Amino acid sequence: MSQAADSGLIHTFFNADIVRQTSPMVMEAVGQTIAIGVLVIVAGILLGTALATWRFHTQSRVLRALIVGYVDVLRAMPPLVILILVYFALPYVNISIGSVLATFLCLSVILSAFIEECVWSGIMTLPKGQMEAARSTGMSWWQSMRHVILPQALRLSLPQITNRCIAAIKNTALGSVIGFAEILGSAQAASSDYANPTPLTLCAILYIGLIYPLVLASRYLEHRAGIR
Amino acid sequence: MQKKIILEAVDIRKDYGDLRVLNGVDIRVREGELVSIIGPSGSGKSSLLRCCNLLERPTAGQIIFDGEDITRDTVNINRVRQNMGMVFQQFNLYPHLNVLANVSLALRCVGKLGKAEANAVAMEALTQVDMAHKRDAFPGQLSGGQQQRVGIARAVALNPKIILFDEPTSALDPELVSSVLAVMKSLRERGMTMLVVTHEMGFARDLSDRVIFMDGGVVAANDTPDVIFSSQGNERMRSFLSRFLNER
Amino acid sequence: MQEILDTFFNPAVAVQVLPMLLSGLWMTVKLAALIIPLGLLGGLALALAHTQTRSRKVRIAINLYVDFFRSFPQLVLVIFVSFATPFIGIELSPVVALAISFMLSTSAYYCEILRAGITAIPAGQTEAARSTGMSATQTLRHVVLPQAFRNVLPDLLGNSIEIFKGTSLASVLGMSELLYSAQSAQSVLFNPTPLVLAAAIYLALLWPAVRFISALESSRRAQGG
Ligand SMILES: Nc1ncnc2c1ncn2[C@@H]1O[C@H](COP(=O)(O)OP(=O)(O)OP(=O)(O)O)[C@@H](O)[C@H]1O
Ligand SMILES: [Mg+2]
Repeated sequence: MSQAADSGLIHTFFNADIVRQTSPMVMEAVGQTIAIGVLVIVAGILLGTALATWRFHTQSRVLRALIVGYVDVLRAMPPLVILILVYFALPYVNISIGSVLATFLCLSVILSAFIEECVWSGIMTLPKGQMEAARSTGMSWWQSMRHVILPQALRLSLPQITNRCIAAIKNTALGSVIGFAEILGSAQAASSDYANPTPLTLCAILYIGLIYPLVLASRYLEHRAGIR
Repeated sequence: MQKKIILEAVDIRKDYGDLRVLNGVDIRVREGELVSIIGPSGSGKSSLLRCCNLLERPTAGQIIFDGEDITRDTVNINRVRQNMGMVFQQFNLYPHLNVLANVSLALRCVGKLGKAEANAVAMEALTQVDMAHKRDAFPGQLSGGQQQRVGIARAVALNPKIILFDEPTSALDPELVSSVLAVMKSLRERGMTMLVVTHEMGFARDLSDRVIFMDGGVVAANDTPDVIFSSQGNERMRSFLSRFLNER
Repeated sequence: MQEILDTFFNPAVAVQVLPMLLSGLWMTVKLAALIIPLGLLGGLALALAHTQTRSRKVRIAINLYVDFFRSFPQLVLVIFVSFATPFIGIELSPVVALAISFMLSTSAYYCEILRAGITAIPAGQTEAARSTGMSATQTLRHVVLPQAFRNVLPDLLGNSIEIFKGTSLASVLGMSELLYSAQSAQSVLFNPTPLVLAAAIYLALLWPAVRFISALESSRRAQGG
């Protein structure tokens, strides 16, 4: 490729002027994306772990089936469909929630379903003797769960949980479809304002900068799990 | 007149990085012979065997098989291996295939036999090891001894000129060992050439034509079982043998 | 109550939009049938290259590729490929843009899964096959890959479900697949029933698959494997 064409490519895809002009807007979006991502992860893990614990605790078959149904439904439906359903259908019954809240709620609920599955599978992998040993020392069911079962189950499924959290963060980009000005949304807006793809390039770089470390962390966790 | 040499290792050396595990090993196996290799753990017995069919490339030296130097780069090793079977300590049966398919796979892939023909040959080999009745079972459903007999059938089915055994009974519960040894004995009676790494001293003493004692990556002794087991060898060999013989 | 039913589960609207949604579904299925095999083939090629090569550089390059595309939200990739390429004079049709962006990222995921499956097969399996004279390729085809595929089947299926769900992103490019059809019906008829119906169709299609994976995983857990 000739040098002229080369600098032409950079001029188009990574125009320094446009980077300068649009970066305040895009950087603000980065903050929002990180904030929503963290909140989604916290809510998803808490809710998912609670559901798995509940499923393990309850004697009621109906309740267990309901939890499994909740998990299955959320695993079977595309996140974008859920998001659009919540955002565009609820106003018909006069419930109107903003795009940020809708994104947060949907992604948390979806993540909780996947986390429930991971934690449940961790609990099931543990030998039965763990609970029995804990109970035999006089600990209550909840104490055994809190101090013996859950720590091990979470640790066993840590690689899968990490991957699910990464997926949840990536899904924040779906918020752009319902008008949440997260990174992708603001980049698209800027890109059409300036008739130049630089903001999109910036967006891609930002996402990769944000998520690549997490992917490396998950690789490390998988590696460690493989050694054990 | 002496029988012709089937397998010959000439001055084999093998290094793993800085670690030299074989340091100039020479062995010969003649047609119809059963040669046992004994020696302490880590002395290089498995490495030598794996060099013979080039599962490991020797660092230096030659392997002459049936008159041909197979360590040359131009040799088609897959063709050579059809004629040199191997039986593994851990059996290494294919868990996704049933017994018959385990034995017939190579016949179809390598021997280019049709399905019916390959199955017929495989059944013949399974009959020899007394496993024909389990043709439809999967490896996971068999005992260790049964799995190892299938492993032997897999090697036998290709009608090789020699079979290499790497501690074929070491992974077995004691009561299962004899069935595998019986199969090996019957193979010998049929004239199969065998090179056997083993810790079964009784087997080595009673059935071998020659016994090779390896120690520290070299052949420390190579003689008839009578000589080897009459404890005339060096100090290390005597202490090695006494440990085994006292166990019995 | 009646009002809620009329709003979200309006039978008249449902009947009216069903043909449209079904043709959207047909598009969704066609997209999945294009994208999933492409990703699987790409992933298999990468996994084979990664596990069979002697070159460290190739392995590092593949790791970089995989991690790079695992870090990319699918939608960002789709948008980037379809909206950025016209600036350098390449006009990709939406299908092509979608296929390229999905192939890039889904092959990374499939590669990870298959690589894990292949490396988990004990070396003794390959040695046994090679000792009978089978070539490296025959060994892969008849001994290693069948076992690897079987062992990672739940993960492969799970990933394929994710991709099937991901085809809904095509709506953003204006391709009239299931979600897009539902959205346009909803905005024309001022009624959310089409969206509910679309969700129900996804559910009906994918729930059995999700159940199947869960059952497969728990039966493998029971076998201790
Ligand atoms: N792939 C390898 N990489 C590095 N070192 C190896 C490898 N294979 C074997 N070794 C080393 O080579 C030496 C000889 O090993 P080998 O397996 O040949 O011994 P052996 O006589 O068969 O012992 P055993 O009776 O325990 O089977 C050992 O020190 C072992 O640690
Ligand atoms: Mg050994």
